[in-house]
Amino acid sequence: MVNSTNIETPRIGVYICHCGVNIAATVNVKEVVEFVKELPCVVIARDYQYMCSDPGQELIKSDIKEHGLNRVVVASCSPRMHEPTFRNTCEDADLNPYCFEMANIREQCAWVHSGEGATEKAKDLLASAVAKAAFLEPLARKKVAVIPRALVIGGGVAGIYAALEIADKGFETYLVEKEPSIGGRMAQLDKTFPTLDCSACILTPKMVEVERHKNIQLFTYSEVKEVDGYIGNYKVKIRKRPRYVDEDKCTGCGECANACLLRGRIPSEFDAGLGSRSAIYVPFPQAVPLVYNIDANSCIYITKGKCGKYPACKEACPADAIDFEQKEEEIEVEVGTIVVATGYELLDPAGKPEYGYKYDEVITGLEFERLSVASGPTGGKIIINGKEPKEVVFLCCVGSRSHEKGEHEYCSRVCCMYTAKQAHLVREKIHDASVKVIYTDVRAYGKGFEEFYNRVKEEGVEYIRKELEDEIELIKRSEEDENVVVRMISEGNAIEIEADLVVLANAIVPGKDADELAKLLKITRSADGFFLEAHPKLRPLDTFTDGIFIAGCCQSPKDIPDSVAQAVGAAIKASIPLMMGEVEIEPLVASINEDVCVGCRTCEEICPFGALSLEAGVMSVNEVVCKGCGACGAACPSGAISIIHFKDEQIFAQMEAMV
Amino acid sequence: MGTLYEDIVGYGGEVFGEEHMETLRECVQCGKCTGSCPSGRNTALRTRKLFQMALVDLREEIFNSPELWFCSTCYTCYERCPKGVKTTDIIRTIRNLAAKEGHMSVPHRMIGVYVMKTGHAVPIGPDQMKLREAVGLESQPPTTQKYKEQLEQVQTIFRTTGYDAMIDFDWDAMNLKGMEKKGGKKK
Repeated sequence: MVNSTNIETPRIGVYICHCGVNIAATVNVKEVVEFVKELPCVVIARDYQYMCSDPGQELIKSDIKEHGLNRVVVASCSPRMHEPTFRNTCEDADLNPYCFEMANIREQCAWVHSGEGATEKAKDLLASAVAKAAFLEPLARKKVAVIPRALVIGGGVAGIYAALEIADKGFETYLVEKEPSIGGRMAQLDKTFPTLDCSACILTPKMVEVERHKNIQLFTYSEVKEVDGYIGNYKVKIRKRPRYVDEDKCTGCGECANACLLRGRIPSEFDAGLGSRSAIYVPFPQAVPLVYNIDANSCIYITKGKCGKYPACKEACPADAIDFEQKEEEIEVEVGTIVVATGYELLDPAGKPEYGYKYDEVITGLEFERLSVASGPTGGKIIINGKEPKEVVFLCCVGSRSHEKGEHEYCSRVCCMYTAKQAHLVREKIHDASVKVIYTDVRAYGKGFEEFYNRVKEEGVEYIRKELEDEIELIKRSEEDENVVVRMISEGNAIEIEADLVVLANAIVPGKDADELAKLLKITRSADGFFLEAHPKLRPLDTFTDGIFIAGCCQSPKDIPDSVAQAVGAAIKASIPLMMGEVEIEPLVASINEDVCVGCRTCEEICPFGALSLEAGVMSVNEVVCKGCGACGAACPSGAISIIHFKDEQIFAQMEAMV
Repeated sequence: MGTLYEDIVGYGGEVFGEEHMETLRECVQCGKCTGSCPSGRNTALRTRKLFQMALVDLREEIFNSPELWFCSTCYTCYERCPKGVKTTDIIRTIRNLAAKEGHMSVPHRMIGVYVMKTGHAVPIGPDQMKLREAVGLESQPPTTQKYKEQLEQVQTIFRTTGYDAMIDFDWDAMNLKGMEKKGGKKK
């Protein structure tokens, strides 16, 4: 990067783009060129059809050389589109890229005005840009080294794939999962739509791969507690809860669980409460790691201090793995990048009594999965009240696509298809069952989805449409009744459908700890509560915090293939800085005038990125963390903070030229 | 007796084929039928509502609903249905089922009375007779209206098929049972 500019004598070249007819149809470009030629310090002003094209860029490059330009102004589209292009053009011609200024005469002018006004506004915008250009300073980009390790938070299918992808590239990867086993929701499912693959059968090999991978260090029953630092240099504290079982000694034989006095008395979370477990347990037989775990809230020995004469599990364990003295551990790791794949929760339908979730005959979609899966508590038999249900009703959009309080406006995206799959499973397992799906629009948008939906209908599943606003209510004629009545008013018809099993497709909602995690990682959430991507179209895997990427349902509801695709994408994005070994940092950051700063720390509080800290009585900026948003500069009561490239004299010159 | 859907497929299927009738399940309640219904513009007929009733097995409600008989079988909805539901044929089938179970609207039964009495659903009246004469035709068409002795054949068909019982026909009064003698508006 050679600096050929001289602050005393700005020599400005101005280039006005027609953008085909996008600008030229509204703005009189020739008139603007003539106007610009008269502005101070302007050496040359030109117009061109497409400035961003190769010949357009060549024009700038040759003018820089021929006319000795040391500032360049391009008036065209939004800087979000082509600022990087023209900065590179300047750099190619040995001009510092920050000696370039852009005037947006398309989005902010030609597209929103017509007639004379547009040309006049274009002149104002150019006068302003030229005025600022005279005050531009050459800046240098900084480079920071990257720690070649990554952290993946969440061990569901997205986290598993992200960790494997990074680890396969040769980088050490930490995978943190809060549950005792990795696998997430996918491990709980029976078949997957629309292919009807056995969910566990396709997932468990990947879980084993995680366990055996030499580059993956797995922390289960653990949570991320603290995250400090910036891209390339994150310091992360992981809290590892005590299992009260020595991971190295436990062989997973299960003798302890058989001996436990509470055997079969605690509802199993993994079985969505339909099955039971002991106080010492593994969530499911293929758990990774296959290490037993004592639930400290239930264990008699831990809660009461005494369990018979001697804790039965400890007595039964042939490996002497049980250790009631185990304490919570805190592990600190340093990583270059982070992938967040923390997944989702399901809306609790109990909050809405009209869904009748209190009745035994009414279950959620996830509970159905555990009821239907061969490894589940019923061995795959769909049994309600001790018998096979014959009149099954599926209710879609429970808590989704709703404006009601406690429900969600978004579509949960997977329910239409898993409902179709579950309807198919009922028809497959109980041949004489009548299966009805009460739905509002079937959103069969994915590969093979419409075909699957048609197939399920052909199999005899009845689809009954309900408008979103149609009232629905699940009641019982009497408490002893083993049938539920689904009552709804639709199209003026009072409809009553008797059912001995109702499955609610309840909404996917952000994880309970999403808010806490967002604060910890300094990433943002969208209005729906899911983590927000940096750009909905073009940066779907990035967050606004460099070096932190998102994948899977923590970003929005999505199905397994979408989660996997996102996970692999996020993992690759997270691997790039690790491969490069260093990252470039934009120099457009806050700068403190130490002679003026009184160290009041107002800026520290207001900074959304935690970039400011007090050092030796005055504030100091971490230039790697700072995004140059300017919030601190606006808040500083002493005017001690300026934002490089947006300094007071630059902004004032712009304003003066415009008014 | 199965569900209404099964009856529609079974009974209508004999005439139109089962696949034809099974299109009922394709209904997504979009309402294009109601929107295009010329009868519904002036009556309470809401075609979409009828299809929902048929789908959720509201048998008694649909059989007793006067709207079932408001369809003029113009086939507009049939042509326009985006899901290919054979709408009009399904409505006609539902009417047949309703009639079998003793639910037929009085105007529809009265048409039966006219056929029974004249051989015509819409008998030729004095105005039409004048018109016929004006264009050089015989005042009476060459049907049972002219050959009254042939009417017996029509009535035999009605007796044999049980249609008289279906519309509750009173042979003595030559009218619907319970209707006064002057019953029909035609003199």
